[in-house]
Amino acid sequence: MSRKYSITICDGPTCLHKKSKELGAAIEQCLKEHGLTDKVRINLSGCLGMCAKGPIMIINPGYTIYGGVTAGDVAEIIEKHIIKNKPVSRLAIEEDHLYNRFFRVFGDVNFFGKQLRIVLRNCGIIDPESIDDYLSVRGYEALARVLTEMKPSDVIDEVKKAGLRGRGGAGFPTGTKWFLTARETSDEKFVICNADEGDPGAFMDRSTIEGDPHSVIEGMCVGGYAVGAKKGFIYIRAEYPLAIKRLEKAIADAKNEGFLGDKIMGSDFSFDIEIRLGAGAFVCGEETALIHSIEGHRGMPRPRPPYPSVQGVFNKPTLINNVETWANIPVVILDGAEWFKSIGTEKSKGTKVFALAGKIKNTGLIEVPMGITLRSIIYDIGGGIPNNKKFKALQTGGPSGGCLSEEYLDTKIDYDSLAQAGSIMGSGGMIVLDEDTCMVNIAKFFLEFTENESCGKCAPCREGTKRMLEILTRITEGKGEDDDIKKLERLGKLIQKASLCGLGQSAPNPVLSTLKNFRSEYEEHIKEKKCRAKVCSALLGYEISEKCIGCTACKKVCPTGAISGIQKSRHVIDQSKCIRCGACFEACKFNAIKRT
Amino acid sequence: MLTPLEIVKKKRAEAINRIVGKGYLSTKRVYVGMATCEIAAGSKDVMEVFQTAIKNGLTDVYLSQKGCAGRCNLEPTVEVVEEGCIPVKYGRVSRDMAHQIIERHLKKGEIIEEWVIR
Amino acid sequence: MKKVKITINDKPYEVDDGQTIMQAADKLGFHIPRLCYHPKLSIEGACRVCIVQVEGMRNYVASCAYPVSDGMKIQTNTEEIRQARRDIVELILDNHPEDCHTCERDGICELQRLAHLTGMRHRHFEGEKKHYDKDLSSPSVVRDPNKCVLCGRCVRLCSEVQNVHALGHAHRGFRTAVMPAYNMPFSESVCTACGQCINVCPTAAFVEKNFTQELYPKMSDKSLIKIAQVAPSVRAAIGEAFGLEPGRTMELQTVAALRRLGFDYVFDTQFSADLTIMEEASEFLERLQGKGKLPMITSCSSAWMKCVEQFHPDLLENISTCKSPMSMMGAIIRTYFAEKIKKRPEEIVSVAVMCCTAKKYEAARPELMVNGLPAVDMVITTREIAWMIKSAGIDFVNIKGEHFDEPLGLSSGAGTIFGTTGGVMEAALRTAYELYTGETLMDIEIQDIRGLKGIKVGKIVMDGKEIRVAVAHGLGNASKLLDEVRRDPEKYHFIEIMGCPGGCIGGGGQPYAGSNSIPLDEECLKKRAEALYGLDRNKTIRRSHQNPDVQRIYKEFLGRPLSATAHRILHTHYQAKKPCGIIPRELQVR
Repeated sequence: MSRKYSITICDGPTCLHKKSKELGAAIEQCLKEHGLTDKVRINLSGCLGMCAKGPIMIINPGYTIYGGVTAGDVAEIIEKHIIKNKPVSRLAIEEDHLYNRFFRVFGDVNFFGKQLRIVLRNCGIIDPESIDDYLSVRGYEALARVLTEMKPSDVIDEVKKAGLRGRGGAGFPTGTKWFLTARETSDEKFVICNADEGDPGAFMDRSTIEGDPHSVIEGMCVGGYAVGAKKGFIYIRAEYPLAIKRLEKAIADAKNEGFLGDKIMGSDFSFDIEIRLGAGAFVCGEETALIHSIEGHRGMPRPRPPYPSVQGVFNKPTLINNVETWANIPVVILDGAEWFKSIGTEKSKGTKVFALAGKIKNTGLIEVPMGITLRSIIYDIGGGIPNNKKFKALQTGGPSGGCLSEEYLDTKIDYDSLAQAGSIMGSGGMIVLDEDTCMVNIAKFFLEFTENESCGKCAPCREGTKRMLEILTRITEGKGEDDDIKKLERLGKLIQKASLCGLGQSAPNPVLSTLKNFRSEYEEHIKEKKCRAKVCSALLGYEISEKCIGCTACKKVCPTGAISGIQKSRHVIDQSKCIRCGACFEACKFNAIKRT
Repeated sequence: MLTPLEIVKKKRAEAINRIVGKGYLSTKRVYVGMATCEIAAGSKDVMEVFQTAIKNGLTDVYLSQKGCAGRCNLEPTVEVVEEGCIPVKYGRVSRDMAHQIIERHLKKGEIIEEWVIR
Repeated sequence: MKKVKITINDKPYEVDDGQTIMQAADKLGFHIPRLCYHPKLSIEGACRVCIVQVEGMRNYVASCAYPVSDGMKIQTNTEEIRQARRDIVELILDNHPEDCHTCERDGICELQRLAHLTGMRHRHFEGEKKHYDKDLSSPSVVRDPNKCVLCGRCVRLCSEVQNVHALGHAHRGFRTAVMPAYNMPFSESVCTACGQCINVCPTAAFVEKNFTQELYPKMSDKSLIKIAQVAPSVRAAIGEAFGLEPGRTMELQTVAALRRLGFDYVFDTQFSADLTIMEEASEFLERLQGKGKLPMITSCSSAWMKCVEQFHPDLLENISTCKSPMSMMGAIIRTYFAEKIKKRPEEIVSVAVMCCTAKKYEAARPELMVNGLPAVDMVITTREIAWMIKSAGIDFVNIKGEHFDEPLGLSSGAGTIFGTTGGVMEAALRTAYELYTGETLMDIEIQDIRGLKGIKVGKIVMDGKEIRVAVAHGLGNASKLLDEVRRDPEKYHFIEIMGCPGGCIGGGGQPYAGSNSIPLDEECLKKRAEALYGLDRNKTIRRSHQNPDVQRIYKEFLGRPLSATAHRILHTHYQAKKPCGIIPRELQVR
C-alpha cells in the first residue's frame, strides 16, 4: 500500500533554530491518533531556501508550502489538509522558486532531501530535447527580464551581490570577472563556456548539458549582454556525443524561437553561439589553453597576465566560465541575489554539484548548499560505506585535489575550508575510499593521469610529474628508498609553486595530501615493504591457512614451484621462491590462501 | 511592440498549452532517464518497450525522456507521475520489469513496491 | 613614463612602469637566469628558470612575463628560490644526454652555463630519459630531439620571425618534442634551411650538417686541386669564434689559415659578388626597358629561394635569374679557372667557406651543376672552419695575414658589403646608375637602405627616372614586403631580400653567441655590418664594374654581361615546389 501523502519538514539550520524538531514528533503523534501512519510519509530535508518564512513544511502531492508552522498547527493541518483535502490557507505561502520544482515531482526524498537543486533544477524533470518543456518551467524568462528591465551594469551588480564564485574549480568571484571584462573597450568581445570537463570520473557538466542544455545557453546570453559580447563559444569535449547532440538541438531550437541570433526578442541585443569540440586533452580545460585551442593553435597555456578578460580569444576581451556557473545565472536573475546569497557560507554562496562515487551505498550526482558537512554528504545522502567497511578517506577535486582523512569529516564544504584542509573543491569529484584502499596507490593513480596529460610546455610539470611517478611506482613495487618521501615532498612543493598553469600547480596535490594525512602508509611501504590495504601486489605475502584441504590446485598454477605439499594435506608456500603473482590466490576455491 | 518579458510569457503559455494538449495533466506521465549513464545501463531498451506499447495501442500515457536523475547506482530509472499523487520512481529497470510496469502499474494502477526507490 | 617603486632583494629602486620584472631587473644590473626568454620572440614562460618570489604571491612568478607594479617586493636570490631554480635545471638535465665531452656545443652551451650557475653537484631525481632518432635528412641542419630542452625558441623564431612555421611542439607530457609536422624528415618539410634555429638554440638540438670529416680525406689527396672561396660575412665574424670582440675583421688571417690547412688556391666570393652585380645590374636595366617583369627581386639568398619556390611561386618571374655569388664562383672555377691552370674540372675540389647553412642545400641543387659536376663540392660554415683551424693548432689570432689568389681574389667595396642587409642593393645601384647614366654616383653610401629595420625603402634618380627600391631581411619581413608588392606591383622597381635577420652576417653558420651575449643580438649584428662597411670605405675600388679582374674575365671568357656564355654559366631558373603540407596560395582561406 503506497503512501498517499508525504510531508517534508525542513531540517536546515534556520528552521531547526525555529524549533522544527518538535514538528516531526507532533506530526507522528497526530498521525498515530488518526490511524494514518501508513498513509503519510514524513521526510526530513536539508535547507529548502525559504529560511525567512520558516519553519517550512511541504505537503505533496500538490506542493503546498506551509510557513511558520508550529507544533500547535499540526493538528489543524492534518485534519484539514490530509484528511479533508482542504489546505490551510492561513499558513500556506506562495513560493515559485525555480529550484524547488523537484520537490513537486521527486519521490525519493531520502536521497534528495538534503540537496538543494539549483543548477540541476530541471535535470530529471523535463525533456532536455524539448524547448517547450524548458519554456514551461520559466525558461528564458531571466533573459527576457534582463533585456526588458536591466542595464548591463545592473546585471553585473546583481551577479556580484549574489556572491557567485566560478564553479570550474578556482572559485574566482564571477561578478568581478564580468565586471573586468565589461569595462574593457573593444570592437569585439567573446563569451566562452568551458565544457571540457577533463577530470576522470567527473560528469557534473555532462549531466547538466544532457539534462538541461537551455539553462547554459540562457546563462551565456545573459553574460553576453552584461559584458557586451555578440558571440559565444561552447568548448565541449568530443567524448560527450549525446551532450553535443542535445546542445546542437537546443541551439537550433533557441534560434527558431528567437532566443538566439539577431535582435533577440525584439531588443537591440544580438547573440550567437558556436560549438567547438575538444580533442582529448585534459589541459584544454585550462582557460588559456582552451582559448588557444579555439584559435586553432596547440592547446598550451600561457602566462597570465594578461588575463582573458583583457586579452582572450583572438586577442579580444573574453569572458570564460564553467558550465555550472552559467547554469546558475538564470536563477540568480529570477530568484534574486538576496535570496542566492542566503544560501551557503559567508565566502562561498550558493550550491555545488558533486559526483559522489567510490565505496559508498548511494553513488550519484548531488547538489548541496555550501556549508554542508562532509559527514552529512557521506552518511546522510550517500548512505554510508557498504559491506560494513570502515571509512578511510574522501578524495575531492579529481586529480587536482587531495585526500581528506576521518578527522576532516566535520569540515563544512566551501572553497576556503577545503583548501585549508589540504584539498580543493575542484570541479566537484568526490570519491569515497574505505579501508581496502591503498593511499599510495591512489596517489599514483591520480599522478599517472596528470603526468600523461601534462602539455609539456614547462619543465617542472613535464619532467617533475614524471619523476614523482617514477618514485611512487618504485614504492608500490617494493623498491622504496629511505629518502623517497623527502624527494616526493621536495619535488611536490617545487611543481606546485613553479608550474605555469593550474594543471601543474595542482598535480602534486594527491601525493602531498596523502603524505600529510597517511604518512604511516608510505613509511610501511618503504621500510617494512608492506601494503596494509593489500592492494600493491608486489608487497603482498601469501600464506596457506588451515582451511586447506590439499586439492593441489594452487600448486599446479604456481609459476615458480614455490608451493609444496602432498594431496589431501595442507600445502606450504616457500616465501623465498614466491614472486607474489597471486595466481594461487585466484586458484584456491576454499579461501584457504591468506594475503598478508 | 511587446517587451521581451511579455514575449516570453506568451511563448510560455503557448508551450504549456501544447504540453497539456498532449495529455500532460490528464494522463499517467512516464519518464525514462536518457542520459549517457542511463543509456549505458540499458535505458534505451526500456524506452523501446514503452514506445512499442504505445504504438500497439497503450493509451492514456504521456511518455517522455528526462536527463540525469542523479541516482547513478540505480539506473535505468523510470518515473511514473500522476497529477495529484506522489511520483513513483522505479530503479534498475530491465526490459521485463518495464513490461510489468506497463501491465501492473499503467494498466491496473498497482504500484510495484519492491522496485520503488525510497 | 610613469615610475613605480619596487624592492629587489630588500633594496628599493624606482623603475619605469609597463615593463616586466626581468626587464626592470636587467636595467638595474640583476641578470636573472633564464632559458626560454628571448627579447626578439614572444614571451613563452615555459622554462620557469627565471622564477622569482614576489611577496604576497603564493607561487613563484616568472619574471619574464610578470609586470612590475608599485610596491612590489621581489626576491631573486633567497635560499628557497635558489633551490627551486637548481631543481628545475636538474629536472631538465635529467632528461638530457650526459655526453658533454662529445657534444658540438661543449663549452658554448647555455644549459651547461645554467647548470654551473645553479651550483649543481648531485642529481636527486634521475630516471628515464627520452629517446628519439636524430634527423639527418637535411643537407643543412641536423635535428637531435634528445638534446632539446623544449624552450620553444626555435618554434617561435621559425613562426614569428621567419614566418616559415616549419617546427612545432608535438605529443604531450614526457613525450613532448619539437619537430616538423608529422615528424617528417626535415628535407621533406617546408624548412628553408636558413639555420636560424641553430643560432637561437641553447643546446645542440640543432646543429649544422658537418662536412669536415668528408673534407679531410680530400685535403690529404695530393692528386686533387683544393680550392676554397670565402664569403664576405665569414671574415667579419670568424674572430668571435676565437674570443675576439664582434666586428674585428680577420680577412687576411683567414686566407693564411686556409692555406696552412692545405688549400691550393684561396679565392674571394666578393669577386664573384662583383660578377653578380655586373649580371644583375644589366638584367635590371633590361627589365627597366620592358624586357622582363618588375619589380626584380634578388636571388642570392638560398633560404629565400626555397621560400619563394614553396610559398610565393606566383612571383617566380620577378626573381633575378642570376646565380648566387657562391655558385657563380663555383661555375667559374670549374670552367674558366680549370682551363687557365690546364686541369680537368674533375680534379678540382671546390669548397666554399660560408656563413650560411642554406648554401649547403644550394650546393646540392641539380640545376646549379656545371657540365655534370656540382659547382661547389661542399660548403663549410664559419663554425666548421674555425674548428678546423683550432684543431690544426693554427694560432689564428696572431698569424701573419696573406692575400687572396689571383685571378679570382680581387674585389671592390661593393662586393664586400654583400654580406649585410642592404648591401646587395647598394652594390647593384652603384653599378646600375653608372651603366645607365654614364656618370659617377657621388653619394656612394646609400644610407636609407642600411641598418637593421625590417623593411627599408629608398630611391635613386637615374637621368630623371625615379627608381624605388626596397630591402627586407628575415623571411617574415620578406613575406610582408611581398604582400605589399602583390597589392601594388608598381610600388617598387628593385627589391633585395635576405633570408636571415641582419643579412648574411646573421647567417645560420656564424659563430655562437658568447657567454655575455645572446643569439641574434642586434649590437653584434651592427658591429659585423660595420666591419664590412669599414672594409668598403678603405678600398680604392668601390664599384663592381671598376674591378679590373672582373673586366678581364669578361674580355677573356664571358664576352659581355648577359651574353650566351654568361647565361649558360652564371644564370639559372627556379620552379615552384610543393613540399608536404603546403596549401597553395590559391586555395588558402584568408
